[in-house]
Amino acid sequence: MELTNGATKAGDWRNYERVLLPPIRDLHKLEVYENEANGYNRLRDVLENDDWTPESVTNEVKTSNLRGRGGAGFPTGLKWSFMPEPDDRPRYLACNADESEPGTFKDRQIMEYNPHLMFEGILIAGYAMQLDACYVYIRGEYADWIRHMEAQLQKAYDKGYVGDNIMGTDFSMDIVLHKGAGAYICGEETSLMESLEGKRGYPRYKPPFPAQKGLWASPTTINNVETLAHAPLIIENGGEWFANTGAEAHPGPILYGISGHVNRPGVYEYPTGMLITDLIDEVAQGVIDDKGIKAVVPGGCSVPPLRGDGIDGVTMDSESLQEAGSMLGTGGMLILDEDTDMVSYLRRVTHFYQHESCGQCTPCREGTGWLERIVTRIDEGEGNMRDLDLLLDLCDQMEGRTICAFADAAAWPVRNTVKRFREDFEAKCKPSVHPTGADLSAAGATAA
Amino acid sequence: MSHFDIERPIVKLPEQQPEQQIPDEELVWTDEEQERIEERKSKYPDPKSAIMDLLWMAQEKYGYLPPEAIRLCANTLDMDYARAYGVATFYTQYYKEEKGKFVLDVCTCFSCQMMGGYDILHYLEEKLGIHKGETTDDGMFTVEEVECLGCCGSAPMMQVTNGPYVHNLTKDKVDTLLDDLKDGKMPPFVSVTLPQDEDEMGGNRRSDVEATETYQTPPRSEAVK
Ligand SMILES: Cc1cc2nc3c(=O)[nH]c(=O)nc-3n(C[C@H](O)[C@H](O)[C@H](O)COP(=O)(O)O)c2cc1C
Ligand code: SF4
Ligand code: FES
Repeated sequence: MELTNGATKAGDWRNYERVLLPPIRDLHKLEVYENEANGYNRLRDVLENDDWTPESVTNEVKTSNLRGRGGAGFPTGLKWSFMPEPDDRPRYLACNADESEPGTFKDRQIMEYNPHLMFEGILIAGYAMQLDACYVYIRGEYADWIRHMEAQLQKAYDKGYVGDNIMGTDFSMDIVLHKGAGAYICGEETSLMESLEGKRGYPRYKPPFPAQKGLWASPTTINNVETLAHAPLIIENGGEWFANTGAEAHPGPILYGISGHVNRPGVYEYPTGMLITDLIDEVAQGVIDDKGIKAVVPGGCSVPPLRGDGIDGVTMDSESLQEAGSMLGTGGMLILDEDTDMVSYLRRVTHFYQHESCGQCTPCREGTGWLERIVTRIDEGEGNMRDLDLLLDLCDQMEGRTICAFADAAAWPVRNTVKRFREDFEAKCKPSVHPTGADLSAAGATAA
Repeated sequence: MSHFDIERPIVKLPEQQPEQQIPDEELVWTDEEQERIEERKSKYPDPKSAIMDLLWMAQEKYGYLPPEAIRLCANTLDMDYARAYGVATFYTQYYKEEKGKFVLDVCTCFSCQMMGGYDILHYLEEKLGIHKGETTDDGMFTVEEVECLGCCGSAPMMQVTNGPYVHNLTKDKVDTLLDDLKDGKMPPFVSVTLPQDEDEMGGNRRSDVEATETYQTPPRSEAVK
C-alpha cells in the first residue's frame, strides 16, 4: 500500500487517503490484508529486523505523539513505557473494544472491515512491552462481530501470525476474545479488568495502577482498538509521518463518528484537527432540512455540549476543544438542530448514567439518580428555578469524589447543558415566586 | 408511580426459594459443550474467569438464567454460587427471567432519541399491546428499551435477542420485521456501509455478506422523549 498522504495537515483533508480503513475490497480477509495492504509485514519487520528493539518501537510511538483514542487521550508511547521490567509474572494487554459511550461507533468499523490491522497492532504492542497475551474485551451486543473476528483470528493463528514462536522467532503471544454482557462501566479500564477476571464490573481504586498490578495481579496495559490499529501504520510510515498528520498536539488519522440531525451520518476517517463546521457542512452534508445548529456534542455523551453559535473556528483536537469548553473524547459527534429541546436531551443523558452507575460510590449511585429525577421534574413542567442551582450543586458533590471517572462524566454534561442552554430550562420551570407570594418572573429574575 | 419515581435496577430477592424450572436431568452439559468449556477455561490463568462465557452458554441452552442454571455454571467452575449470581445480575444481557421468543431491544439513547427512537418504541408497545419490559401473552415478543448499541449512524435501530441489528427503523420496517419474526425468520446480518466507501468504491466493500444497506436519513421524529 503506497501512502501518499505524507504530511496531510487537516487543512487539505479533501485529499486525504484513508489508512485505517483504506478502500480495499474484502480487506477483512487475511489474504487480501496480506497481499494488498502490506499485512503483517510491519510485524515481520519489527520481529526480524535488528534495528527494532522493544525500546525503539516504544520510542517510535512516542515520536508519533499518538494519543489514546478511547476517550482520555493519554499519550500511548508514555503509557507503554510505564510497564515495569519483566519479572516472573506474566504480562498482559487488554484491548478495549467495549465501545459503549453513546454516540461512538467507530471501533466496530475496524473490527468488521480491518480486524487484522487491530491484531497486528496488538502484536506490535506486545513486542514493545514484551507481553504474553492480549485479551480483547468486546461488548456483548457485538455478538455478530465477535463471531466474525473469531473466524479471522483463527486464520491468523493458522498462519502462525499469532500464538507460539510467531513467524519462527522466539516471540510468542496469544490473543483471546472475551465477550462482555452489557455494562457501560466495563469500558472503564479497571472495571474492564474485573470483568475479564470473571467478576462484577466494579472499578478498582488506583493506585496500584494497572502497569503495576492489573489483570490477575500482573502488569497490564489497556488500550483502545483504534489506538492499537495505529501501531502498524506508525511502524510502516514512521512516527514523524503520524506526528505531521492533523493537529500538532493531537495528531494522526482519526475515525469521526457523526450522528444526529445531519444528512449523511456515519464513520469517517480524516486527520485530527478538522473544523467542526467542515465536518458538519461538507463531510456530513449539512443539517437535515438546512436547519440551524443548536448544539454539538463533540466526543460522546460524556463530554460537555457546545452551543451551535460557538463552533466557528473550533477544531477536533484536544487543545481547541478544551479552549471551547469541551473535549475530544471518543470523537463520536452528535449534532442537534435548532428545534431540539435541550431539557429532554439532558433527561435522556441523565437516565443513561442513572442506569449505568455501578453503584459502588454513594455520590455516584445516589447523585445520578437525583440528577435524573430533577431533570425529569423540570422536563415535566414541575421544576422551579431553584432546581437549576440544585443540579449544579449536585455536580459539585459528585465530581472528583468517586472511585472512577464515571461520576465526572455524568456531571459534566449536566453542568454544561444547564449553564449553556439555561434558557431552555428556564422556559420549562414554573415561574419563580417570592416568599411573599409575588410573581417575579415578569421582573426577569432568574433564580428565586 | 409519580414521575419522580424512576425505575431502578433493584435486584429482587425472592421471599422464598423459587421453584426449580429446569429438571435435574437437563442440568448437564453435553460433550460438545464440555469441550467448549474446557477450551474457554484454558484461555485464562484463573479458570473461574470463564464464568461469563459459561453464563452465555447456559443462556443459549435454557433461554434464560434461573438460579439452577447459574448454579450449574458455578459448580462447573468450582465457584461459589453467590459469586456467579453476582456476575449474572450485574450484566444486563443476562436474562434473569424468562423472556419472549424474540426480545426486541430498541435503542433510545441520545442519538437514537434524536432520530425517533421513542417513536419506534411507542409504536411497538402500541402494536403489541404491551409496555416496555413486558412480554406478549403468546410469549412471542418482549420489548425493551436499551442504551446505545454502538450503531448511532443508522439510528434509530434495535437489536433482536442479543443477535442481529436492524438499522434505520421506520414503522413500516417494524411491521415487516414483526411479520418475519412471526414466520420464524430472524433478520440477516446487515453490514452498514461507510459513506466514504460509497464515494470511493460504490458501497459495500464486503463480498461475503448479502444484505447491505447505506446510511439513510429516516423521517425526522417530532417526539424527542
Ligand atoms: C466510564 C468510562 C467508560 C469508558 N468506556 C470506554 C470504552 O467503551 N472504550 C474505550 O476504549 N475506552 C473507554 N474508557 C476509557 C478507558 O478507561 C481507557 O482510558 C482507555 O481504554 C485507554 O485506552 P487508550 O489510551 O488507547 O485510549 C472509559 C472510561 C470511563 C471512565
Ligand atoms: S464512580 Fe460510579 S461507576 Fe465509578 S466506581 Fe463509583 S459508583 Fe461505580
Ligand atoms: S444511540 Fe442508539 S445506537 Fe447509539
